[in-house]
Amino acid sequence: MAMGHGESDIEALLEIRNLHAGIDDTQILKGIDLSIAPGEIHAIMGRNGSGKTTAANIIMGHPDFEVEEGELLLSGENLLELEPWERAREGVFLSFQYPQAVPGLQVGNFLRKSVASIRGEEAAKGADFRRELNEAMDTLKIPRNFLSRYVNDGFSGGEKKRFEILQLLLLKPKLAILDETDSGLDIDGIKTVAAGINAAVRGTDSGALIITHYSRILEHVQPDKIHVLIGGQIVATGGPELATQLEERGYEWLDSKAEVEGIA
Amino acid sequence: MDSTAEYLSLDEPTRSSHLWKYTPWRRIHPTGDITSIPDVGTPRLRLVGLDGGDAPEGIRLEKGVMSVSGLPEGDVVTGSFLQAASASSQWILRIEPGFSSQDPVVLDIDVKGSSSILHLSLDVGRLSELELITRVRGSGKWFGLLRTGEIGAGAVLNDVVVCLQDEGTLLRVDSIAIGRDAQVRAGTVSSGSERTKADLRYRMGEPGGNLRVLGSILSVDSMHIDHHVEIYHDAPETFSRLTWNSACGGDSRTVGTGMLRVADGSRGADAAQIFHNLLLSADAEADSIPELEVLEHEVVGCGHGTANGPIDEDQVFYLESRGFDPSEARSALIAAFLNSTLSEMGSDSLHDWLVELLNSELRTPDA
Repeated sequence: MAMGHGESDIEALLEIRNLHAGIDDTQILKGIDLSIAPGEIHAIMGRNGSGKTTAANIIMGHPDFEVEEGELLLSGENLLELEPWERAREGVFLSFQYPQAVPGLQVGNFLRKSVASIRGEEAAKGADFRRELNEAMDTLKIPRNFLSRYVNDGFSGGEKKRFEILQLLLLKPKLAILDETDSGLDIDGIKTVAAGINAAVRGTDSGALIITHYSRILEHVQPDKIHVLIGGQIVATGGPELATQLEERGYEWLDSKAEVEGIA
Repeated sequence: MDSTAEYLSLDEPTRSSHLWKYTPWRRIHPTGDITSIPDVGTPRLRLVGLDGGDAPEGIRLEKGVMSVSGLPEGDVVTGSFLQAASASSQWILRIEPGFSSQDPVVLDIDVKGSSSILHLSLDVGRLSELELITRVRGSGKWFGLLRTGEIGAGAVLNDVVVCLQDEGTLLRVDSIAIGRDAQVRAGTVSSGSERTKADLRYRMGEPGGNLRVLGSILSVDSMHIDHHVEIYHDAPETFSRLTWNSACGGDSRTVGTGMLRVADGSRGADAAQIFHNLLLSADAEADSIPELEVLEHEVVGCGHGTANGPIDEDQVFYLESRGFDPSEARSALIAAFLNSTLSEMGSDSLHDWLVELLNSELRTPDA
């Protein structure tokens, strides 16, 4: 029996179809198609302004962005009908490029509340939660006194990124979007963060979408597919070797392809 | 002239006065007839540990009033009125020299009936260490609280006044002298009474005094909460910081005015004040006016500032991306804003107690 269109949707963890979106009447994404299967890690690479962060914000449901056309499905469910907090509870996680500081909100309380909201009250209680928290902090080399600090308040760039990955490990999302989580990190920081991403995704049914400028993090988190975004469209998709090509040749060799397709 | 005669000789203060610009005396007076000093009742007082048990030895309440030299000059209208009206409701909170307690002590003030008043003299012995919570609660329609006193040399005092009156009006005047090398954290937590007028004055007349004045104010519905804080550096090497956070919802109004005075001769004084206002609704209003009067040139620094704004939508999105629903995100951000000052008021146990209190207040705000 031939497989119907709807059945293939359910197999995909994330399905983006013909997504057109923008902000303040400016169209930024001009027809994105992308499919991530459970257990896969994909990467999106591109220059500044190519639409990478917009794509991340749209998947999370940032209210400033408007979807004009297209579909966004998580395990077959239409994310576009859900508010950001509902998407989070359905299993979408965004590691922010610039995480917000919330002075006065202690990290420990924030983590407990987040875990309770997303995984349920029981997951945020008792010895099991403390053990899980301690293990995740050890993986990321985060000291215990971190818990009494305020969320991202006075954190260094590296601390902010580690804290985002700590949340990833504790919230156990179906889909993790990592928006330039490697930027601003030294090589040790990249390795630590990569270990966190691998621990969260590898060997699970979760998936990840890594947004990055650089191939360095992809040496430590081997993606299944790499997509290149230029002018709001994916102009190339390939395996890990595509990152090496981009590292050597830059993006210019893809500009002509974008021009031919009328994108750039 | 006694305080009754002094009050009755005064003219009504006008709005041109810094102190009375936003809250006229007529609105705060127990009856509105400012030519009278009405008879008022006395509140019920209880001095207990944080767990409700007995207060430790070395701290006690006594009937009477303490005469303290070196108190800051206060507003003559409220000062004389409260002194005259509280003649039969005067208590001294005496803390023995060298007293030390690991656990906070609570002075519960239960206000009932149409009006009540208390003149509390603080006698904080030298080298004592204490965390004191003064909690005002109850259904009284009008409560006047006059706190005068002296923090002894080398004492370490975390002094938090929590105002949770169900309704009505609170008039509070503090006039506190801070001794040599004393370290004081003076916190105010307020989310009660429909109208509050507070005039808090601290004088550092001895070298080495260290003062932090902190406010966590939550106004909802149609509350009107007006605090004036005046810090007077009148000795060398004195340090003060004023941080005042007000979250203002409904169609309420908060007012925070600060006066930082540094007298000639207060070399090495280091002082700053900042007011933050979080506006939770379009109809809420917050006014902050920090002022400086610096007569000494050789100071470490004297600064002031104020910042107003609504809840940051980027913070809301961040919390929503972590599963907080919009109401939870909003409450968490209000609590975080107030907690920034709350957490500076004292020890972890005091802080935990205050956070629990704050959370119970936030469960039903009409913000």
